Amino acid sequence: MSTVTVDGVEVEVDAGATLLDAARAAGRWVPTLCFDERQTPFGACRVCLVGLAGSPKPVPACTTPCREGMEIETEQPAARRVAGAVVELVLSELPERPAAETELARVAERLGVGEPRWPGAVHEGEEDLRHPYLALRHELCISCGRCVRACDEVQGAFALTATGRGFEANIAAGLDAGFEDSSCVACGACADTCPTGAITEIGLLVQSKAD
Amino acid sequence: MATVTTTCGYCGVGCRLEAHADGGRIASISPALDGPANEGHTCLKGRFAHGFTHSPDRLRTPLIREDGELRPASWEQALERIVAELERIKGEHGPDAIAGLASSRGTNEDCYAMQRLVRAAVGTNNIDNCSRVCHSPTSFGLRKSFGLSGATGSFTDIDRAEVALLLGVNPTQGHPVVGARIKQAALRGCKLITIDPRRIELADYGAIHLAPRAGTNAAVVLGLCHVIRRDGLVDEEFIAARTEGYETVAELLESCPPSAVEEITGIPAAELEAAAHLYGEAASGCLLWGLGVTEHKYGSEVVQLLCNLAMMTGKVGKPGSALLPLRGQNNVQGSSDMGALPDTYTSYRPVEDEEVAASFEAEWGVPLSRRKGLTIPQMFDAAIAGELKAMYIFGEDVAQTDPDTAHVAAALESLEFLVCQEIFENETTRFADVVLPASAFLEKEGTFTNAERRFQVVEAAVPPPGEARTDFEIIGEISRRLGHEMGWESPWEALDEIARLTPQYGGVSRERLGRRGLQWPVRADGTDSPTLYDAYFDRPGGRGHFAALPYKAPGDAADEEFQLVLVTGRVLQHYNAGTMTRRTANVDLVDRDWLEIHPDDAARLWIGDGDRVSVRSRVGRIEIEARVSERIEPGHVFTTFHFPETRTNLLVGQSSDVNTSCPEYKVIAVDVRPLSEQRSFEPALSPAG
Amino acid sequence: MSQNLVELIRRHHAVQAPTALELLKEAVADHGEVTDADRVRAAELSGLPEAAVYGVSTFYDDLLAPRGRRHVRVCTGTACFAAAGETHVERIGAGLGLELGERGADGAVSLAETVCLGFCHSSPAVRDGEVVDAGAGVVDRVLAAATRAAPEPEWESLLAEPVLTRPGEWAGLRRALAELDPEALLAEVEAAAVRGRGGAGFPAGTKWRFARDAPGEEKFIVANGDEGDPGSYIDKYLMERSPELVLEGMALAGLAVGAEHGFVLCRSEYPLSKPALEAAAARARAEGLLGEGVLGTEFDFDVTVIEGAGSYVVGEETALLACIQGLRGTVSARPPFPAERGVHGMPTVVNNIETLANTPFVAARGAAAYRELSPDSETAGSKLVCFNERFARPSVYEVPFGITVRELCQEVAGGLRDGATIKAVQIGGPLGGILPASMLDTRFDFDALAAVGCMVGHGSVLAFDERTSMREVATHLLHFGADESCGKCFPCRIGLRRAHEEFAAGGPVDRERLEQLLEALELGSLCAHGSGMPAPLRSLLEHFPEELGLA
Repeated sequence: MSTVTVDGVEVEVDAGATLLDAARAAGRWVPTLCFDERQTPFGACRVCLVGLAGSPKPVPACTTPCREGMEIETEQPAARRVAGAVVELVLSELPERPAAETELARVAERLGVGEPRWPGAVHEGEEDLRHPYLALRHELCISCGRCVRACDEVQGAFALTATGRGFEANIAAGLDAGFEDSSCVACGACADTCPTGAITEIGLLVQSKAD
Repeated sequence: MATVTTTCGYCGVGCRLEAHADGGRIASISPALDGPANEGHTCLKGRFAHGFTHSPDRLRTPLIREDGELRPASWEQALERIVAELERIKGEHGPDAIAGLASSRGTNEDCYAMQRLVRAAVGTNNIDNCSRVCHSPTSFGLRKSFGLSGATGSFTDIDRAEVALLLGVNPTQGHPVVGARIKQAALRGCKLITIDPRRIELADYGAIHLAPRAGTNAAVVLGLCHVIRRDGLVDEEFIAARTEGYETVAELLESCPPSAVEEITGIPAAELEAAAHLYGEAASGCLLWGLGVTEHKYGSEVVQLLCNLAMMTGKVGKPGSALLPLRGQNNVQGSSDMGALPDTYTSYRPVEDEEVAASFEAEWGVPLSRRKGLTIPQMFDAAIAGELKAMYIFGEDVAQTDPDTAHVAAALESLEFLVCQEIFENETTRFADVVLPASAFLEKEGTFTNAERRFQVVEAAVPPPGEARTDFEIIGEISRRLGHEMGWESPWEALDEIARLTPQYGGVSRERLGRRGLQWPVRADGTDSPTLYDAYFDRPGGRGHFAALPYKAPGDAADEEFQLVLVTGRVLQHYNAGTMTRRTANVDLVDRDWLEIHPDDAARLWIGDGDRVSVRSRVGRIEIEARVSERIEPGHVFTTFHFPETRTNLLVGQSSDVNTSCPEYKVIAVDVRPLSEQRSFEPALSPAG
Repeated sequence: MSQNLVELIRRHHAVQAPTALELLKEAVADHGEVTDADRVRAAELSGLPEAAVYGVSTFYDDLLAPRGRRHVRVCTGTACFAAAGETHVERIGAGLGLELGERGADGAVSLAETVCLGFCHSSPAVRDGEVVDAGAGVVDRVLAAATRAAPEPEWESLLAEPVLTRPGEWAGLRRALAELDPEALLAEVEAAAVRGRGGAGFPAGTKWRFARDAPGEEKFIVANGDEGDPGSYIDKYLMERSPELVLEGMALAGLAVGAEHGFVLCRSEYPLSKPALEAAAARARAEGLLGEGVLGTEFDFDVTVIEGAGSYVVGEETALLACIQGLRGTVSARPPFPAERGVHGMPTVVNNIETLANTPFVAARGAAAYRELSPDSETAGSKLVCFNERFARPSVYEVPFGITVRELCQEVAGGLRDGATIKAVQIGGPLGGILPASMLDTRFDFDALAAVGCMVGHGSVLAFDERTSMREVATHLLHFGADESCGKCFPCRIGLRRAHEEFAAGGPVDRERLEQLLEALELGSLCAHGSGMPAPLRSLLEHFPEELGLA
């Protein structure tokens, strides 16, 4: 157990706790996109940056372990500026605005990120509806890795992978021939964790298109 | 959109689910993050396979058979007919001519109501549930050795185990969320020992895989115990302080060295020794088993031998050391706990026990029979013999799932009156005189008890379709019309009665169950029991019982005519008879049963991957598609029974467990050959005819 | 990195299974491309799940471009850009009738892009099959199918007694085994304050200390030979001309840390490095300097040389470890650090080639002597620097810290050839700041360069002459940066692409938007690739704003 301070309030945390754990224990909101409490932290989105006394740069809350006496500032201006800039970049790579109920849309709203100011390439549309339950819309993938980690660390089917490099990074099931031809067991953990609806239940997709 | 938290109605893991309903229909289901068994995860059945709830096939009105056809009728007509017939038969032949079958899919309250109807309204102990055909040997064995009929620990013990031995169980298919937990534990360092005639998926993540011949489990376990004793790995202290009867076992073990075990099982002695050491030397370890142990002639004995194994090394009653029989149905544990059994009331208290019977008589206000009733196999025999005249079955398709289909069909045919209470027409309703439309798990409230003895709340997310009613209501109404008013406003009042009459469930109530449920025994103050036997066993004297049970050959064996041994089981995408899953898009993933056959056997029999083959046993014959696989052991074949058109259970004979009559689905001698004019053993140039 | 995948790899490694990456590279070598059948086979043999193998096959350059019987790879690194812009790329493409990444319909010839071949002294460079040709007339020779191996200049030391530019003699290991125990050896390396030479400058002794203290049944030493910086060929020279020095350094690390095995990851763009290291290792084993019972002691140490598959970010230590294990070369969050959890989840030291090559001197002659190698500087030891083709005498040179950049450019490398003048110099790699000609009197040292927005980095000194537009330099660097981004963290994955688009579009660059992007990259990136990219851009913004075409 150790004690850290979050926005001036002391909290006690277990050994191995991260700054994000501490912030949540203190009831403070830290935006996240690639984080899922059911998985090991990934550190990809960089949206969870927080200020840390003594550190010249803000640090990612989800992968920084707590140490006794640390002082965390969840709304440090530089941290929030970067978070906003990153979310704006993410919105700019999608061909359409994310649905209102997705995590991405809610984080963007809460950070006050509006229409992205970046013209430029967007992901190409590629809808995969072959599976009876799972829909994969590649163009909405922001490579947060949560689906891959769910399939690895929760289900253990290892059916998903990150693909490509750089801006072309995306995800695929098996040898990229769809969920059914892979080792997928259709547990839905990927759809459950996806923050943009890139992977979603076909039933819900059809429903929202009908709406 | 309304969300209701409930418990899954598929398997014995008991995932907690959030059911999202919109306009009376299920829109989607997501896993509950705080589910004790599933922790925010679930499988494709719990999550996606809910479409059956709204299938056009759903029974929406009662049906009565007229001129050989089932025709829609009103509730009044159907109920009147049922009551009239049951009273007539009871009057002419006595209450024991009537039998009830409770559904292990149903809630605890449904099953409790059913056994109360059969005992109090009808007046017989002829009530049973489908645990008969799956884990009844587990119940028998655990009660004999330890005292209580349930897992000795919880799923979380897997996370804390240094080693886990899996015998005759395939969790990644049958209990997916527990299978995932085991896999993650294995990747983190838990050493798995998998023992199965098939190389199950978890064997790829384990330390040792043993492939015994089907039906030789007892020899395997005795062999492991022999090595543990021989090499000084026994926990002398534990044996001395907590158990009795070890000397008889020690003597028996002398005759079970690895060389003898190899003769019987085919497992190389060195591999057996390695497995024994791995288990014996670990500081903590779990034993998990499934129908690959129980659905055998001596299944109940193997369970006791497994208890011996655990007791010898003190691996019971501690965190990380649990015996976890993986119960199949969502409420197979509960249906038996609720006394839907011919020989016991709730919590396995015998019907002959004066005190117990008297307590129920006092509550129900009627005299109760002290005579044990019929088990399901006995019911079929009695029907054919003309002694059993009527059956009232809810939520079980015996004509598809029970062994020796021809025999079951003959039995159902022989009945004068058969009532089926179901959500779909099925193989059994073909024989029914009256069919009542009932509710699916998403349409009812009550509790299920999962494989870790956990009572969990079930809440209705949508109403039953058409004129269908909940099972609880229907059973209560029939009982009322038979003259026995149960007096419950809701299933929760039934739960209160259960708690009142059952000391082991004394502290159970809806409020206390909350979101996380409670593992029985539950004390009056609500304290529950994640781990059993940490101080004493639940037997007279408090000691665990060692059973000296030698190996005996299974009820069937390969011979000249039937050269392969068939093992039946399940796949991930379907559940048992497929009643629910076949009416969902799971059919797009798996649309048939197939026969798994080893490449060597396939080559010898001229069978190619995908060929249709005939499979013939001593009692029946089916036709099915063959698939060649390296995962099955040579000399064995494997198939499932998810599709009624396959009629797999035509092949299963009458061999069953000596103590509990659980059918031996796992050892069936068969002849397999390609379906073609040319018989494979006929030489090409022999004259025709 | 996925702990589960690492565990699966560890289990298969224990039974001598090859990695998935090795198997996929074999497939390319055999039939010029990766097919699904190759992926399935790689999964079966390596133990890595099929999906993960698919992911690996879409990450590395060497697996992506289909190969014809003749595979031509044209270098588009910064030195080749400084020498020839894109003209060599265009002429070769036109001449062969192929786009970059394309294979001719008859399968005879294929063309691909590569960065960098390490022939920066003779840019532009082209790899024709296994032959690297460079310099004047290279394009003509390629088009005439008459390429020949380009000569490489000799390296030189400015020190009174060369430390790094001489063949290794194993004196350090001999003394360490005879006179020091592992703890004393480690203390010596700590006292010598050997700073990492790969770019980060992290003290090697501290890293060794962490690994020594970390619990683990097995430990590893990894030599980072993935010198991907365009313009840099220092590690190439070390691996090919003094491989013994490198191996000795690894053995010393093993001795100090308690490791019995080492891996060298050398880039596939340097086809001569792996054979050179393996030959040196074979000679060393024959003399009892590697293997079981080194020099007759209880100390066991041996090495495996692994070739990369074409990814710049694999030079980052966690990505490097992923590549060694056959996974996608993406960066992992730290902690855990490799010293705690590295190869197969075990404590691992990852050191740059040049860093390791520094340690034999420390072991042989002691920390004090090492600290005196650069009398005009606080920094201990010497540094290898290299120059690009624009200079009159390009090669690798061993120099003391504290020398000025002007001295390096004019006296050591002889100024620019053909009477050209230096417009600007980029030091340390593509993520290094850019010094305008007016600031060449800056000292070549960690603090001095950092103070002007530059870095020592890996030590390359790359000059742009007056012909080169700084806007084109920005566009070129951002193209490289975006192309090589591993794709994991959002600021780099998306931000570098946007920054490149901003410059490549041709119009005025929105400064405010650019500054916001630079801040997000600097503060938010997961590794030095993203966080380092702003440095040269900031130099350009400060020193050449008019040329950048700002709005």
